[in-house]
Amino acid sequence: MSMLDRIKKSVIWKSIFRRDYKNTPRNRALAIFGNIFMHLHPVKVRESALKLRFTWGMGGISLFSFIILTVTGFLLMFYYHPSVEKAYWDIKDLEFQVPYGIFLRNLHRWAGHFMVIVVWLHMFRVFMTGSYKSPRQFNWAIGVILLVLTMLLSFTGYLLPWDQLGYWAIVVGTNMAAGTPLLGFEGPFSEYLGITPYNDVRFAILGGSTVGGNALLRSYVWHCVVLPLVAVVLMAVHFWRVRKDGGISGPHS
Amino acid sequence: MSPFIEIISAPDNIAIVMMILMVIFFTVWAFLQAFRNDAMRRKGERIEGEGDGKTDSWKPLVRIEFVIALIVFIGLTFWSLVVDAPLEELASPTLTPNPAKAPWYFLGLQEMLVYFDPWIAGVVLPTLIIIGLIAIPYIDNNPKGNGYYTFAERKWAILIFCFGFLALWILLIVIGVFFRGPGWLWFWPWEAWDHHRVIYEGTTDLTNLVGIDSRSGLGFFIGGGLVTFYYALGMLLPYLYWKKRNSEFLKDLGVLPYVTISFLFWTMLALPIKMFLRLVLLVKYVWVTPWFNI
Amino acid sequence: MKQKSSYTPLLFAFLSLLLLGLTFWVIWKDEVQLRPWKSYQQEYKELKGKKLQEEYDRAKKEFDSNGNARKLESLQAKLKAEEDFFNSREVQEKYKKLRGQLDIIGSSLAQNQKKLQETRGRFLEAEYLYIRDQKEHDKKVMQRLQGGIEELKKSRDALLERKKGIEENIDELTGDAEAIRAEIMSLHKGLDEKLAAIKSNERTSPEIGQIHISDVGKADRCISCHAGIESSYRLSEKQPFTRHPASFVFLENHPVSEYGCTFCHHGQGRATTSPDKAHGWVDHWTEPMLRGSMTQSSCISCHGDIEGLRGAEFISKGSKLIKKYGCYGCHMIPGYEKLREIGPVLAEVGTKVNYSWAVNWLQDPKTYYEAARMPKFFFSQEEAESITDYLFSMTGTTRHDTLYTDDDIDWDLAEKGKAIWRQSRCNICHTTNGKGGNHTEIHAPDLTKVGSKVTKEWLFNWIRDPKKYFPETKMPRYRFNDQELAALVEYVVSEFQDWDFEPGYEEPVPIKAESIEKGKALVEKYGCFGCHKLKGMEEMQDIAPQLRSAGVNVAGGETSEKIGAELSSIGSKPVELLDFGKMKDSIPHDRLSYVKQKLRDPRSYRDDLRMPDYRLSEEEIGPVASVLLGFTDVSLPVRFIIPSYAEIEELEGESDRHILSGDFEKLEADVKCLNCHKIGNHGYNYAPDLAIAGSKLQEGWVRKFLKQPDIIRPMLKQMPRFNLDKQDGMIQGNLADSEIETVMKFFRSDLVSDDIPVSLPELVDNGAVDRVLEGKRLYDKKGCVACHQIGNAGGSVGPNLSFVGDRLTAGFVFKYLEDPQRYNPENVEPNLGLTERERVYLTRYLMSLKQEE
Repeated sequence: MSMLDRIKKSVIWKSIFRRDYKNTPRNRALAIFGNIFMHLHPVKVRESALKLRFTWGMGGISLFSFIILTVTGFLLMFYYHPSVEKAYWDIKDLEFQVPYGIFLRNLHRWAGHFMVIVVWLHMFRVFMTGSYKSPRQFNWAIGVILLVLTMLLSFTGYLLPWDQLGYWAIVVGTNMAAGTPLLGFEGPFSEYLGITPYNDVRFAILGGSTVGGNALLRSYVWHCVVLPLVAVVLMAVHFWRVRKDGGISGPHS
Repeated sequence: MSPFIEIISAPDNIAIVMMILMVIFFTVWAFLQAFRNDAMRRKGERIEGEGDGKTDSWKPLVRIEFVIALIVFIGLTFWSLVVDAPLEELASPTLTPNPAKAPWYFLGLQEMLVYFDPWIAGVVLPTLIIIGLIAIPYIDNNPKGNGYYTFAERKWAILIFCFGFLALWILLIVIGVFFRGPGWLWFWPWEAWDHHRVIYEGTTDLTNLVGIDSRSGLGFFIGGGLVTFYYALGMLLPYLYWKKRNSEFLKDLGVLPYVTISFLFWTMLALPIKMFLRLVLLVKYVWVTPWFNI
Repeated sequence: MKQKSSYTPLLFAFLSLLLLGLTFWVIWKDEVQLRPWKSYQQEYKELKGKKLQEEYDRAKKEFDSNGNARKLESLQAKLKAEEDFFNSREVQEKYKKLRGQLDIIGSSLAQNQKKLQETRGRFLEAEYLYIRDQKEHDKKVMQRLQGGIEELKKSRDALLERKKGIEENIDELTGDAEAIRAEIMSLHKGLDEKLAAIKSNERTSPEIGQIHISDVGKADRCISCHAGIESSYRLSEKQPFTRHPASFVFLENHPVSEYGCTFCHHGQGRATTSPDKAHGWVDHWTEPMLRGSMTQSSCISCHGDIEGLRGAEFISKGSKLIKKYGCYGCHMIPGYEKLREIGPVLAEVGTKVNYSWAVNWLQDPKTYYEAARMPKFFFSQEEAESITDYLFSMTGTTRHDTLYTDDDIDWDLAEKGKAIWRQSRCNICHTTNGKGGNHTEIHAPDLTKVGSKVTKEWLFNWIRDPKKYFPETKMPRYRFNDQELAALVEYVVSEFQDWDFEPGYEEPVPIKAESIEKGKALVEKYGCFGCHKLKGMEEMQDIAPQLRSAGVNVAGGETSEKIGAELSSIGSKPVELLDFGKMKDSIPHDRLSYVKQKLRDPRSYRDDLRMPDYRLSEEEIGPVASVLLGFTDVSLPVRFIIPSYAEIEELEGESDRHILSGDFEKLEADVKCLNCHKIGNHGYNYAPDLAIAGSKLQEGWVRKFLKQPDIIRPMLKQMPRFNLDKQDGMIQGNLADSEIETVMKFFRSDLVSDDIPVSLPELVDNGAVDRVLEGKRLYDKKGCVACHQIGNAGGSVGPNLSFVGDRLTAGFVFKYLEDPQRYNPENVEPNLGLTERERVYLTRYLMSLKQEE
């Protein structure tokens, strides 16, 4: 008995893999539902669902971008302090001091932009194939929320380098919130509710009447904790519903 | 041409160039497939995917996923190697850059600020966009075209959506990124950004065009009337038309969804209408009230 | 999916290879491409290694050649003999025996030590219990243990004693071997150290160097490439390996470890990935590196006074130019706020000058005087006339000129005036026909053509009491009587005529009212009041007219603003906010280029600008620009700040003029001592510094000098005479006796230094040395004669010492010889390191040099 065989027969190996690699229908099915990472897939899929010209692979690419962003973002968090005094210089040091720091940041930023584009195209494709129609209406709604989350993730991350580009983009973006009817101090009817720059919806977003240290911290928390968590939960629902609603759509149903 | 190259090659804008190319490519591809499917349907042939069998996920699906992930990762790695993420000067609340632009994916909204006040462009329209998108499956009661590319079977849905997505979202972003310079003025790509350029546009309100002060009581009522009529007629006329034709579509839909769909549709169309009024007739507001302006 | 499997392995292989390649690229980029300092450090290390090797080789050669090698050989032979003796069997046996004994004692000692520790521990425990419970039992235990401790200590001492004895025996066996080894070591030490330096250099591996100044938030990594910036070696003239130039000024006072580099040089100190990024020559970095003289801009961030600062000569020049041209009249420039307007009062100018002269002067001052400080405003003839009309309207109603022809001159009177002119030393400050004006910092007007500019009446009144016309003038009041004044005026008017002057209004012509209005508007627009006091416009000086006309409510001077742009943070002004206007394609878009172009051609950016043309040369533009760019909005921690004298005085609650007091202050205001002399930070360096005059100068000499300032100096270095004798017009006195008393009183009370002794220290002389003769011997021996003159012999670099015994006090000379730079750091006299005895002798000798009675 060779060493390899002995290892393969060992309790530990079996406890991990549970099956051998013979190409049998059972094993092909086991490869999917016997694996935590694979079991999101159905064991069987329609042949047409495999056609790239149909799906464009956009959903999967979005997920993959999200994974890249999570990993790089996680590493970037080691080198970043969300404070006005340090944030900008941390980003500078990322380029000049941290090994592979600039590469990490580039990957994170470009993957972020890429994900926004891909999510839009995913929505475009789903609409063009009419895949939101019954029974997938609800999953479309989840998808729309995920799309909004993606843009919010990108938006909150924009401020973190604390440079002119991000700072003023956030100023412009959040100034629009000041125009919220009733709740924004520049919005219609807000004066009847006693809304001022210090208690309106913009103040709640920024933690202040201007973009400052509080806004940076809030951005950071939304970007690194809240939004990713919500996105992960909704993604799980989204994927699960894809399967429960009959898999990838097609003209058969 | 050098200003153009400068704008195009700004690190963040590379993503937008990529987006333009991808959107064009996929739009063309989607429509080609739609027309092909329509043609096959007309000939009574089966379109792709009709009555197809099932296959194992392991490995065909996993293999495709893996290859695509690999390609995406290679692409992103290459992109990250060649282009550095931008980092401008330290944020300074006292030094406003001109132009101060929102992140590129919100530039459509910022462009809308030219035509509407912030409470519409920044709050009401984005909210309606989200609501409208979520509502699509519930108001589109056309059972055809589920799960395949087609144009003939759902012309209106596709036309309206493409108009919204391509013209009112993507195009406005492209305008915001490439054609808006200092002072949010229009600059052609071959024009250098002149920070001191001044353009005076004597904008006015719609009722002032016919000699009625928009701030007067009469102006208020006329403006309000126009807005109300816009929505009322927009809802009523198609309703009556379809009713007369005894349309199946209307019957299936019900009144409430009809009102919703028509409100969303006319709100969407309000944007190009307002753009026309603003750009061609130099109209700032249609309706001026003491509380808000439209 | 069967059809796919045929090409998918190939696709996988291809993509995997691609990814592998990219991975290598990522690694190469991060390890090599983005880390250029690695190769720089490697190169520097090689250079340094070569240099160290050279040094070692040279030292080795020297070592071999000067007999050290032979000495080493003999030492080694001695060592060998000692070792042979030690290694002989007999000795070795003894040695081993002794070592064995030593080991036994060693283990006994260790046991003893352990027991001692134990007993002490128990003792402490018993002590604790006793203190807590006060039980007799515990006390007994304590006593017993104490006894045990004493025992143990005794036996330890006995053991140590034995150990010492055995060690001595061993030492006898080893003989001198240790001492010889030590000698060999010390002989080799120099070489060994050099060898160690080579080794340690070889062991260094490239790493990022960083200087972090936490309270400024700076992290300078410049030394990662500039490895030799502080080095004592001059290894290469190639960047980045050079040493810092003039490090004895710059680095000595600003150590790299405390200040880093970007403190003065700017640039992006954090950047390590490319020279362009590190030096800040990239987009989005607003502070590119400063090089050469321009770096001096940074001095201003910390140093309050830059004039006279060592190593800051460039900006020092700029600062003097700013004062010369009075830039602060129109611009708010920090540190220059309190200076007076540089131009004369214009309130009564209509009684002073010729109308035609004024019009001509306004149009182009350089046609009257080439070196005029007044800038050119590009006024048309009509505009210049309007302004002149406005100015003349304050004292009259006509345009009028006064021309003096030969017939108008009393030539005898003028001849008398010539003598007075010379005695008054007018040419110290005023230039005439390109002569004089040696005191360049006073900026007195040129008088070459003054006879065609002013009227006799005005000149007469002016010299009689300059402050009456112009309260803040620097012109001293000469104490001439009316005849003397008339003579001086006659001379000036007759001598200094402009023969090309063409008066247009010898017959007065009435001034038109609308022209006055126009002139006033022009004066307001161009802000003449920035440099000249004008009636009715006093408050306008600080408040921009356009602000007022725009209806801006200016409250209590809070938002007061000068007519020109505020320059207090021009060095931080974002380039985007600078309006390059018409020049936007002609010059580079950076602050320095902007400021330089503004100084070169003030109206080149736009047509409607108001700044006049000072016609500065390129040599003047650079220093002025570098001073201006030093004004930034960077705020540094207080530990870096060196306040200016003025700021210190203000902090101490002393007003600007407080250094002077009482009667002396009045006298000074009259004859302007501080126009030439310096006291503390006030006054000028034209004549001797008076800060310690009371301790330095002998009173008798001062009195005599003030009466008759005839010290042998070049003419225009001589102190002018302020008084002429009233009796016969002959020169007899200068200041009145009471005034001399005032001066002496002030000298005694305010201008003394505590560390100058009143008398010389007493020396215990061995034998009867003639101190004067000994001093003379030292004077000759130390080579003083090379620079100083006594009698007719000696050099002329230092002052003439012929009669120094009359002038200086012994205490001053004694102290001065100890450290010639004590009272004036710029002094060139070398410090000879004289002993106290030598200084006493020299002083005695010098004090013996008196004018024979």
